[in-house]
Amino acid sequence: MLEWVRFIVSCALMLSGIVVLFTAVAGIYKFNYVLNRMHAAAIGDTLGLMLCLLSLTVSALDIWMALKLLLIICFLWLASPVGSHLIARLEVTINPIWHQLPPPEARERGDDE
Amino acid sequence: MSISSAYETFCVASLCVLAIMLVACFIRAVKGPSIADRIVAINMIGTQIIIMIGVVALMIGEGYLTDVAMLYAMISFLAVVVLCKVYMGVYLERQAKEREQGERHA
Repeated sequence: MLEWVRFIVSCALMLSGIVVLFTAVAGIYKFNYVLNRMHAAAIGDTLGLMLCLLSLTVSALDIWMALKLLLIICFLWLASPVGSHLIARLEVTINPIWHQLPPPEARERGDDE
Repeated sequence: MSISSAYETFCVASLCVLAIMLVACFIRAVKGPSIADRIVAINMIGTQIIIMIGVVALMIGEGYLTDVAMLYAMISFLAVVVLCKVYMGVYLERQAKEREQGERHA
């Protein structure tokens, strides 16, 4: 009986995780600029991965497998924002659209006026 | 229906759905107009492969495969960092060379 409860909880978590990952993949196709696409991709990297790995943690074989899966969640939650920041900085450096913007202090003065 | 066959169905079904989404990400990585698009798609492929390795570990009943998933997470993060740094370095170097040539002509 307890096994079946574990299985059903695992199924529910995996299903919601896959729905979130599908949202991320759909967002990759829906938006048409990299920074918008990155917003959608970050959902799959954090929430989708957390739900899917929690589903595997619930039905893990032993305690060490569960702890390793939790460690993967912790690591990716730290690593994904850093990667997103680097990708955004690459895009802002390379794309000439962003070179035409005024420097930040000029924009702030414009807001105050 | 026994619990083991239920787990088998669950694992195979989630692997199939993940594989389809992986192919969709791969198409985006090939099509992506800019470099940043491709790196975002590669990052997502890495995330989905980590989940697939975890599901396979559950399906064949070997706990040590999660070590592989952990290493995969670290290497995919390292790949994103290195690709970003390399492309930014290439761009800045080319820009510096062009500026130098412009000064020489002027």
